Amino acid sequence: MASRLLWASRAASCLRISVSHRGFSTVLKDFKYCDSHEWVKVEGSSATVGITDHAQDHLGDVVYVELPEVGTPVTQGEGFGAVESVKATSDINSPVSGKVVEVNEELNNAPGLINSSPYEKGWIIKVEISDAGQLNSLMDADKYSKFCEEEDAKH
Amino acid sequence: MVPAAISTSPSVTSCPSRRLSQRKSQSYCRTVSTMSNHVSKSTLSVSVNSIADPDSRTCECFDLHNELVPYGKAWAWQKELVRQKKASIQSGGDCPDTLIVLQHQPVYTMGTGSSEEYLNFDTKNAPFDVHRTERGGEVTYHGPGQLVMYPIINLRNHKMDLHWYLRSLEEVVLRALLSAFSIKASRLEGFTGVWVGDEKLAAIGIRVSQWIAYHGLALNVTADLTPFQWIIPCGLRNRRVGSIKGILREAYSSINCGYVDVLIPGECHLVDIACDALIEAFAEVFQLEVCRKPLTEAFLMGKSF
Repeated sequence: MASRLLWASRAASCLRISVSHRGFSTVLKDFKYCDSHEWVKVEGSSATVGITDHAQDHLGDVVYVELPEVGTPVTQGEGFGAVESVKATSDINSPVSGKVVEVNEELNNAPGLINSSPYEKGWIIKVEISDAGQLNSLMDADKYSKFCEEEDAKH
Repeated sequence: MVPAAISTSPSVTSCPSRRLSQRKSQSYCRTVSTMSNHVSKSTLSVSVNSIADPDSRTCECFDLHNELVPYGKAWAWQKELVRQKKASIQSGGDCPDTLIVLQHQPVYTMGTGSSEEYLNFDTKNAPFDVHRTERGGEVTYHGPGQLVMYPIINLRNHKMDLHWYLRSLEEVVLRALLSAFSIKASRLEGFTGVWVGDEKLAAIGIRVSQWIAYHGLALNVTADLTPFQWIIPCGLRNRRVGSIKGILREAYSSINCGYVDVLIPGECHLVDIACDALIEAFAEVFQLEVCRKPLTEAFLMGKSF
């Protein structure tokens, strides 16, 4: 088990992923995070949004994703969709304000992508950001890792 | 296919509203010992203190268990309460939790990802209203004789863990069934809800928005279960739906008791007992001091929707 952990940590550092020592919740270094456990990857004025590994782990198997329509405005901190896992549906909140330009239709057929690939294939929406300054209020990878640890420790 | 004879008159009409007595919930059916040989022990326990903490938070309770509330009204009321709580939290304040207990007129409700394949009728020609809601879970039926509990609680003040919350709601029902009726119900791993054997007595489905949870649970007490036959309840094809009344009747019949109808209390009384037990168990499991609010306040709120 120890050697597997070591291998995983080495692989993780090659991929520039920091591995939390509690239960393997991954956090990607170049992404930004908010305290409701969504991530955002910014590329110019476009942002891709999803929920984090920590969030999907706590949710359990995602059975349904409620997606917004393309063109819907989103506001930082407010819900734009929902994920359902075993009798509980929870809001997904947008880390940024802007307009939805693309949604991941794959999630209609394969909601489990959020569990298996929360940062890649499980992306949820792409947003044209209206206020780049909002990114400053989000957490970086290290801060988010610490936030998760503190949250888990409380409960 | 629409069933031929649809009785919309509830088997339990609105009981003459009575003031809630101060009596403790009676533990009924002492003569009925183990309810079922095939009830599996609850495999998932929730660690809670059994004695209320003197510093426990308060929860306002609107007890409308003798009222048949239209689904739409209750739904709008919940959403308004959620909105108020969010606003309160946003402005830096806090908010007490709220508990609503009521019965509904006959209605089907569906969850966010619910499939219409679990309806045995065409939605354009449905036997009752069908509401597609924002809760989790598949289709279910609500109607007279079924107690519905809507806790609207801020999980930030409890545990920010949806699984814990679902297990806790199950725990509320498990404790109520045991304390009031000596029914040893159980969980079924992988199937949220409360079961006696392969019969589901209570269904659960929730929505969480910024850690405010709403929707809740429904426990069949004396409900006519026929409307469940017109759906695949909760999307589970090989399971049945049960009720407290059904379990009690079965238990008495199995001990060859010829006086089943005399010994089981009247339907209104069963509902009263179940309601008191649920509220008491809720207070215990969530470590809340439940403060019952006058019905007039509830109706005033309801009238604005």
